Amino acid sequence: MKPSPFNLALIYLVLGIGGLVMVFPFYWMLATSLKSPQEAQQAQPVWLPQRLQAVNWGAAWRLGQQGGSSWWGGFAAGHSLRFHIYAPQGVPPQVRVPSPPGAFSDPRADSTLITVSYQGQAWVITLHNQAHESFQRLPVVILLSKKYSTYQTELAPDAVRSSGDNWRLELVNVSPGLLGYIFHNYLAAWEAANFARYFFNSFFTAGTQVLGGLLLAAMAAFALARIPFPGKEAVFALILATLMIPGEVLLIPNYILLSRLGWIDHYPALIVPWLASVFGIFLLRQFYLSLPQDLFDAARIDGASYLTQMLRIALPLSVPGLVTYGIFSFLGAYNALLWPLIVTNSPQMRTVQLGLQVFIGEAGSDFGALMAASTISILPILIGYFLAQKQFVQGVARSGIK
Amino acid sequence: MGTRLALYLGLSVLALLLRLLGYLKFAPTGVYLALGILAVGVGLYIAWRKPGLLCGLSPLVGLSALVGGYFLPGVALFLLLGVALSYYGSRDSLSERDQAAVWGWVLVWPVLTLLLLWQVFPALYALWLSLLDRFNFIGQTHFAGLQNYFILLRDPLFGKALSNTFWYVILTVPVGILLGSAVAILLNERLWAQGLFRTLYFLPYITALTAAAAVWKWIYNPEFGFLNYLLNTPGLDWLNRPEGVWASLLKPLGLVPQGFWAGPSLAFVAVMLMSIWHILGYNIVVQLAGLQNIPREYYEAATLDGAGWWQQHRYITWPLLSPSSFFLFTLGLIGAFQVFTEVYILTPTGGVLQDTLTVATYLYNKGFRDSDFSYASAIAGVVFVVILLLTLLQRWVLERRVNYEA
Repeated sequence: MKPSPFNLALIYLVLGIGGLVMVFPFYWMLATSLKSPQEAQQAQPVWLPQRLQAVNWGAAWRLGQQGGSSWWGGFAAGHSLRFHIYAPQGVPPQVRVPSPPGAFSDPRADSTLITVSYQGQAWVITLHNQAHESFQRLPVVILLSKKYSTYQTELAPDAVRSSGDNWRLELVNVSPGLLGYIFHNYLAAWEAANFARYFFNSFFTAGTQVLGGLLLAAMAAFALARIPFPGKEAVFALILATLMIPGEVLLIPNYILLSRLGWIDHYPALIVPWLASVFGIFLLRQFYLSLPQDLFDAARIDGASYLTQMLRIALPLSVPGLVTYGIFSFLGAYNALLWPLIVTNSPQMRTVQLGLQVFIGEAGSDFGALMAASTISILPILIGYFLAQKQFVQGVARSGIK
Repeated sequence: MGTRLALYLGLSVLALLLRLLGYLKFAPTGVYLALGILAVGVGLYIAWRKPGLLCGLSPLVGLSALVGGYFLPGVALFLLLGVALSYYGSRDSLSERDQAAVWGWVLVWPVLTLLLLWQVFPALYALWLSLLDRFNFIGQTHFAGLQNYFILLRDPLFGKALSNTFWYVILTVPVGILLGSAVAILLNERLWAQGLFRTLYFLPYITALTAAAAVWKWIYNPEFGFLNYLLNTPGLDWLNRPEGVWASLLKPLGLVPQGFWAGPSLAFVAVMLMSIWHILGYNIVVQLAGLQNIPREYYEAATLDGAGWWQQHRYITWPLLSPSSFFLFTLGLIGAFQVFTEVYILTPTGGVLQDTLTVATYLYNKGFRDSDFSYASAIAGVVFVVILLLTLLQRWVLERRVNYEA
């Protein structure tokens, strides 16, 4: 039945509003991850963060170039940086590099030589790295008298606070470079926690689990679908019965098993217990049952053993099923939190989700970095989804027909 | 011959499993000998029926592996070499059926071993643990019968966890299914940009709960959270409100329900909201698959009979979607007992007065914070039984109402 235009419009409206609600958390995550701390902590939400405004990009590029790199910024040894504050001449601004324990401070920035002069229409703050060491971030605090009715900084400050008779302008990095400016929170999160290692752990364990699980499930599924062997019904019944065991029941005994094996805080603990998947066996068995028997008979007449039949006929023909199940189980392994939480202790063994969970505890109120870390953690799955949308949806839909 | 070889293989694998359990001190080391001797016996029988070098060598290898394995666990692996020798020794006389018997089992054993070791044995072991008085890695434990279960029955925190689970099922599962079905029906109208909409609704489901919960925690933030801005309720601390929502709602009417009837706390409702958001995409995809199985002719016939849009969906779509709705309901019910990540991220300390406690978080707390594995196993045991009963009950009650035709 074709809905009337009015109804159609209504359907679009309802779906559109629903869709907005569904994606809003993603937008909010992304937006926050690009905000400065002060922007994130506003009672009125900031819809378009400063770091996304093209006005600031030119300055970020220019300042980054002076500091070392137009894209990534940094403050190389011997480099000088000129930061402008466009304001009428008056009380000169006081400039200093915040020292620890202030937030965003870098001890290597302490020896920066600061000079302030008035040139043309602006205060020019010249920062010179007189040390022999290059570093990534140069945080600066500028105290500017409140007597200035108008002023314009070259790069928008990350925070403006009131401090007695002055405005206190804070810049987390005065030499950011374009990408360093936009993705400041991402870089901060990436450095604060060892996400590279977490990603390796997640991909390695989930990948091994998927590949091993696929092979094992394919073997069992092929035998159950295509080989008439005595005891098959009993095996099938046993596999069915394991479906009745809820995952929680296994947490404690498997933990004890792993600790007696000495595998706690080692990769096998994350991989081996979940290698055998009943879901995968069912899915692939269904696939193999749907293949015509003639195919296997013909191969048998040509002298193919069961092993050859499986490797040469069943496996290649079931690639869609394998991909579906692979995606499904990768998703499960990558997104798991509880199991890695239980079987790993050391920071080097954390998976992405566990690393994120720890980061949530540590980041405190640095919401920008927190959202940046969250975005980083879901990025691989999102990219995978957009590359293989159909298989993703099928993998999930098929799980409904077990 | 094939059956004998399969038996030889099976007994050897089981003996190996028992050797591993012996090595891990779950069983006395000697117990594997019984199965191992049986296996070697079968090997001998094969050698007797099929004399030859390889077949004759097999029981010898098997026996030495068995004895060697008693002292050095790794040596027991050579039991499998014995089986292989038997197979290659008798290969030329194996019939088609024998081949099937051997290869069927060879292909099935890896998975079966893993399932036995990581699912069947642990489940039984959990049952045993729950009968001990207090098992952790230090100190002596004693058999205590059903003591843990009796304590559990009177444990107010477990009651809290169960009532939270109950409200979770009551509130999230039907809402999730109804919303999911509604969106699926709308999406099924052959829309322009159907793929885009599907993606929008599906994204939350593939997003890891950890990251999703982090975002929601930020949205729920009392000072700077978006939700408070949207609802104009500045300072409302969603995740720190222990009082039950029914109690809060009914207060103006002069009613103050107590205990269970006070309902889930506002914090737990916040958890539920997020859960619905997360699971909705899955429900939609499952219901869309269900919708695509309904023949178009039904709707055409209904249109001819003058049924409107609403009537068609009420009398055709909804009944014919009941199998997949039923499936989603079962899944939601089981899932309710496994709610962990959302709660753990949103309320890391378990909320005010443990008001966001769920069965899974309680089990985690008992097992891995308090190191009381026996008590945690008892919780797991209760969950096991409850889920089993609920699944059976559901099937019994709903199966006659669910329409599996079409």
